[in-house]
Amino acid sequence: MTSASISKAEKSYIQAGLLTSPPRRADGRSLHDFRAIYLETGVAPLSNGSARLSIGRNPLDGSGGTEVLAAVKLEVENIEEQTLDGGRIACNVSCSPSAYPHLSSGALDDLQHDLTTVLHQTLSHPSLHPKNLGIIPRKKSWLLNLDLLVTAEAGNIYDALFLAARAALWDTKVPRTRSVEYKSPKTFLSASGDMDVDQDTRSGFDTRHVAHATDFELPDYWDEGEILEGRERWPVAVTLNLLHTAHFLDATLQEEASCASRLLVVYSHESPTAYTIQSMRMLGSDELSIPHLKKLIKEAEGYTRSMATSLTTKLEDEDFRRNQKAREKFGRRK
Amino acid sequence: MFEFKSFQQPADDHFVKNVPEDIDMDEDDEDFLETGGMKLTWPGESLTSSQDYMRGHGTYVDNEEVVASVSGLVERVNKLITVRAVRTRYNPEVGDLVVGRITEVQPRRWKVDGNSRQDAVLMLSSVNLPGGVQRRKLESDELQMRTFFEEGDLLVAEVQAFFGDGTMSLHTRSLSYGKLRNGQLVTVPPILVRRLKSHFISLPCGVDLILGLNGYIWVSKHVKENEREGEEAFDAEAVYSNRNDDIDDSTRMAISRVTNLIIILASRSIPLTDTILLDAYDWSLEQEGDVKDLLQEDASDALVTTILAKG
Repeated sequence: MTSASISKAEKSYIQAGLLTSPPRRADGRSLHDFRAIYLETGVAPLSNGSARLSIGRNPLDGSGGTEVLAAVKLEVENIEEQTLDGGRIACNVSCSPSAYPHLSSGALDDLQHDLTTVLHQTLSHPSLHPKNLGIIPRKKSWLLNLDLLVTAEAGNIYDALFLAARAALWDTKVPRTRSVEYKSPKTFLSASGDMDVDQDTRSGFDTRHVAHATDFELPDYWDEGEILEGRERWPVAVTLNLLHTAHFLDATLQEEASCASRLLVVYSHESPTAYTIQSMRMLGSDELSIPHLKKLIKEAEGYTRSMATSLTTKLEDEDFRRNQKAREKFGRRK
Repeated sequence: MFEFKSFQQPADDHFVKNVPEDIDMDEDDEDFLETGGMKLTWPGESLTSSQDYMRGHGTYVDNEEVVASVSGLVERVNKLITVRAVRTRYNPEVGDLVVGRITEVQPRRWKVDGNSRQDAVLMLSSVNLPGGVQRRKLESDELQMRTFFEEGDLLVAEVQAFFGDGTMSLHTRSLSYGKLRNGQLVTVPPILVRRLKSHFISLPCGVDLILGLNGYIWVSKHVKENEREGEEAFDAEAVYSNRNDDIDDSTRMAISRVTNLIIILASRSIPLTDTILLDAYDWSLEQEGDVKDLLQEDASDALVTTILAKG
């Protein structure tokens, strides 16, 4: 589908290389090696959270590699149905035509739709839903729009999308809100709806109070808001490219073209010991036996765990770097 | 296993550091208008007056001045000013050796992606057909064109002529041209491949290179001179085969190593010649790391320094 055209000789050269022992890949990697992943958060100032990610770009001139931009924008939504309480998440993936020059616009639409479906179904699952997307119960909530743009593709697009999505969601700040209530005008006041703002100290049991809240305001505060609840839960994906009984990670376009099927496994690692499988997808035409599948799923857990751990470390570094930068900027201004 | 890195942060003082203070940026030298003058330019730089000179490719006229629209080398022919871009697609010339990939099979011709502005054309009449080099093409040949080349196949060919719209026409009517096997392709900017005496290079490490002038480079296992297909008689079966020979582990390593070296040299805009590649290969063998470690930034920096020092 997305694969680059490749000759039979190239294909068998790659396959033979993967199946020899020790396995040899075109760029000298071993089967389970990833290319270097470049990551930066906070790249889009107008978004609530954003990230730029590149797998396998050339460090010298920045060419090549799969590149993905992810951005989160929060939008206030009026709740019409009761079921939507607590906000919702909408993912969208768009692919730049320059990333897929050989695809027609129809094929590009199909591809975007495929990627969007996988991402949306996984990330908008209730088990991952952050608890702080509500504003006023049964009236207003945040709609979290997660948009991803593929600007260049050099293989392994699913892993890149999930990594970028996780980084952008990690970076997301939800603006603080305060409920506003209109008190019914007292008879002895010459009142035309005098406005009262409730305080942060109100009791959580005071549901009566909340039920009357009709609107909210955004208090002016020194930071952009609070982080999304449960941001450690956001999953990471790993694509296992299957060739006979062997599997390899982080395939280039040529390698993707020379193996018949791929298995995408998405795991959420809330803590180093607790993990849940969030989604799984078989891409391609080959069949897979159940025992083999079981083994692969188990191995995928190991890969995603170390991927999630390194990603979290990197994201914490990024947070620190940006805080540091902001502080320096602030200090310079004084 | 997973390595996360930061994008390179542009240093704030990068540009200031590199410009010597006594340079007069507004210097108005028009030496490049003399014959043999060389000047590099960048988009937006005004080159000369549009009243005295004519604008050519890579330039436009603004405020009665000829302004460069691409970065590259300024060239002048009589009153015509052109800029030859550094990053561009391949501009074919007759006789060039190119490596291409079949994109389409059409009646009596193949369309070939040759990194040029348009797809190249390979006519059925300009390939070697089974049963002798000099033979009329038959209807049966037209029907089995996919047995010679099919979509995705890589081939090495020579630019034969141009069509009216500038499309290049290729031919493979030589025993050294034809389908490519036993290796992998690496792509570099076309400007980095110079015209050499021979574009078929054999490195002593058991690797053959075909430097296509269009920037496609084929890195493959060395085939001995006397074992080449069709050396005595033309053997269509072997020439149009899709099957690879057995490639041993050390050859595979060498192919990967050469590929990575080409990628590094190309990303630093170092023109590729056989001597440079040999030097680079020898250097990389002396290093401790694995083949994949070559692509690390410090290793490639060291390589480029060594190569540039040798001149």
